[in-house]
Amino acid sequence: MSLEGQVDSAALERLASAVQPGQPWSAYQAAARALDRIPRETIPDRLRARVAILGSFTLDPFLPVLRVEAARAGLWLDTYLAPYGLYLSELLDPGSGLYQFRPIVTFLAIDGDVLWNQRWAETPPLKSEPVVGGLLTPLFAGLDAFERAGSGIVVMNDFVLPRRSTEGVNAFRSKGTFAHTIAHANKHLRLRLSLRDQTFLFPLADVVGQVGRTHAFNWRTHYRGHLTWSDALMAAIAERYVGFALAAMGKATKCIVLDLDNTLWGGVLGEEGPTGIALGPHWPGSEFVDFQRELLNLQRQGILLALCSKNNESEALAVLRDHPSMLIREPQLAAFRINWEDKASNIRSLAGELNIGLDHMLLLDDSPHERAWVKDQIPELRVPDLPPDPSMYAHWVGSLPSLMVLQQTAEDLQRTQQYQESRTRETYRTSIDSLEDFLRGLGLRVHIGLVDEGSMARVVQLLAKTNQFNLTTRRHDEATLRRQVASAAWRVYTMGVADRFGDFGLTAVAIVEPAAAAWHVESFLLSCRVIGKSVETALLVRIAEDARGAGVSVLSAEFIDSGRNQVASTFLSNHGFDADAEGRWLRSLDAPGLEWPAYITPAGWHPAGTAPDNHGGR
Amino acid sequence: MGDESRISSRVRQLLAQVLDVPPDSIGPGFSADSTGGWTSLNHLMLVSQLESEFEVVFSNQEIGELTSFTAIIEALGRRLDAGT
Repeated sequence: MSLEGQVDSAALERLASAVQPGQPWSAYQAAARALDRIPRETIPDRLRARVAILGSFTLDPFLPVLRVEAARAGLWLDTYLAPYGLYLSELLDPGSGLYQFRPIVTFLAIDGDVLWNQRWAETPPLKSEPVVGGLLTPLFAGLDAFERAGSGIVVMNDFVLPRRSTEGVNAFRSKGTFAHTIAHANKHLRLRLSLRDQTFLFPLADVVGQVGRTHAFNWRTHYRGHLTWSDALMAAIAERYVGFALAAMGKATKCIVLDLDNTLWGGVLGEEGPTGIALGPHWPGSEFVDFQRELLNLQRQGILLALCSKNNESEALAVLRDHPSMLIREPQLAAFRINWEDKASNIRSLAGELNIGLDHMLLLDDSPHERAWVKDQIPELRVPDLPPDPSMYAHWVGSLPSLMVLQQTAEDLQRTQQYQESRTRETYRTSIDSLEDFLRGLGLRVHIGLVDEGSMARVVQLLAKTNQFNLTTRRHDEATLRRQVASAAWRVYTMGVADRFGDFGLTAVAIVEPAAAAWHVESFLLSCRVIGKSVETALLVRIAEDARGAGVSVLSAEFIDSGRNQVASTFLSNHGFDADAEGRWLRSLDAPGLEWPAYITPAGWHPAGTAPDNHGGR
Repeated sequence: MGDESRISSRVRQLLAQVLDVPPDSIGPGFSADSTGGWTSLNHLMLVSQLESEFEVVFSNQEIGELTSFTAIIEALGRRLDAGT
């Protein structure tokens, strides 16, 4: 959907489609110039990502490539490129252009030559430790400083041996070789990055391997102008960088919608029958088993799988249940539509059932005709072209940028199960009369607490992703949260919700600024999984009780219309808040009407500071 | 002749793409001096695009001289003639 005069993601995708895979850099440059001609004011904020790049070599020519690949994924990039080679000082200096730019993602592109040059500055006997320490110590000091300032996410590549080695066949025995220095650096880099939540390792060695080392580096431009990456490597890296940007923007795919015939198995079930389809340990058929395995890898990271197929439901489900080589079975599916309705309607209906925006869904369907038709009906849906040969499916699916998952919380991993529980709940809903009855029958339990080490990642994720039931849609990063909690400027409430069908996990967050005159609700959000159960009332009552306990008799709050949070628009008025002239909502805690819902059971509440396991939640 | 016009039209296209100018504006008088976007960085990229497109390698001296449409066509003509 595009507003009048506004560019939409489909328009960006069209401009990017002028460049095909394998085309030289000049084609990217031309397409990037076409992007530049779009008037900035017509690009809506939701499509814009602020991306910074710091490098140890020339990266200016990489920007057009990155911007075009981002446009291919429907993103417009505002980019910041640090001055040549100044990656350390940019990170360490809070006054640098990097800090002022406030990126959502920062890519650190550091090549192995940085280590190589340091190594030759050492006096023999050469050792890896001082070389690696000499680079990583200031680098991580810079990352620490940057993170404290609310850096967003930082992505740094592993080190790659730039050239064929001349260290001889005995190099593997020695700790004094450059190969050893590279391996040692990567080991430490991996370890230190893995201890941080907001930093990620970019698998450059893997990407170089895929492009082929011979084609990955351009030695002529390397020596002439310190530009080491070849056209082909720039394109391959850009494609993956875009995945990080999409994920950081909350635009990653949440649900993959799968076709069946010639997508999850070979052949047409309706024609060849359950024993005739190609699916099994030998070719033809083994390529589909591998493809299913890759899809399950994605599902394990929290991406939902759903089916949308034109088939007879009972026949298709029988294959899912009984075929010995089928890996994706009903328990792995969040939902399915197996019928003869048109696919666009089915996908819309899946989006409704799963409560996921169509722009967060991706269709995998072998039929070019179905893809074209669905894309025409639902322009915001991601509909990539599958390779014509199913042998390529398993390899290809890993290249889709929108399937990158940055944060995996316990909730992510249980999500499919939660949607299935919700299927059971829906069935239950149709069999009772009133909403009140429904809620009472659910046996709702809530667990309210203050944020601690165990819940921090989930709180950050909810703040970043929740669009619907969100009073203010303020996005706070982890550094900010930690700082505000530590200084007691914020009380960050969390609420877990469960009912007799299952556990929704941590699904509500409220940030309260306690002051003597009034406690102010800075943020208040509810995951869409628990909308409609009145659990938000329970959380508000708890906040009110705490405020009263602190001798405060007024709550204040705000509602900021984001265009997507209509479901939260009546929350304050429904709970006795009145708006003043400045749009601030106030509620006296002496006035009646704020009561704990009778059908919700509180569990495990400890007043602030008294809980034995309440680390960091002061 | 056919080869020559293929070369000049491809060079024109590359110059247009790298320097963001209309292909029609690129003719005998088109040079680095008269083109604001012809920076040293774009020159680096232009040369490497020409090298991969025409499968040639230019020397340091040649690279310094490839500063106009005419000079590029001439240099490529010399290289491709020598190659056959």
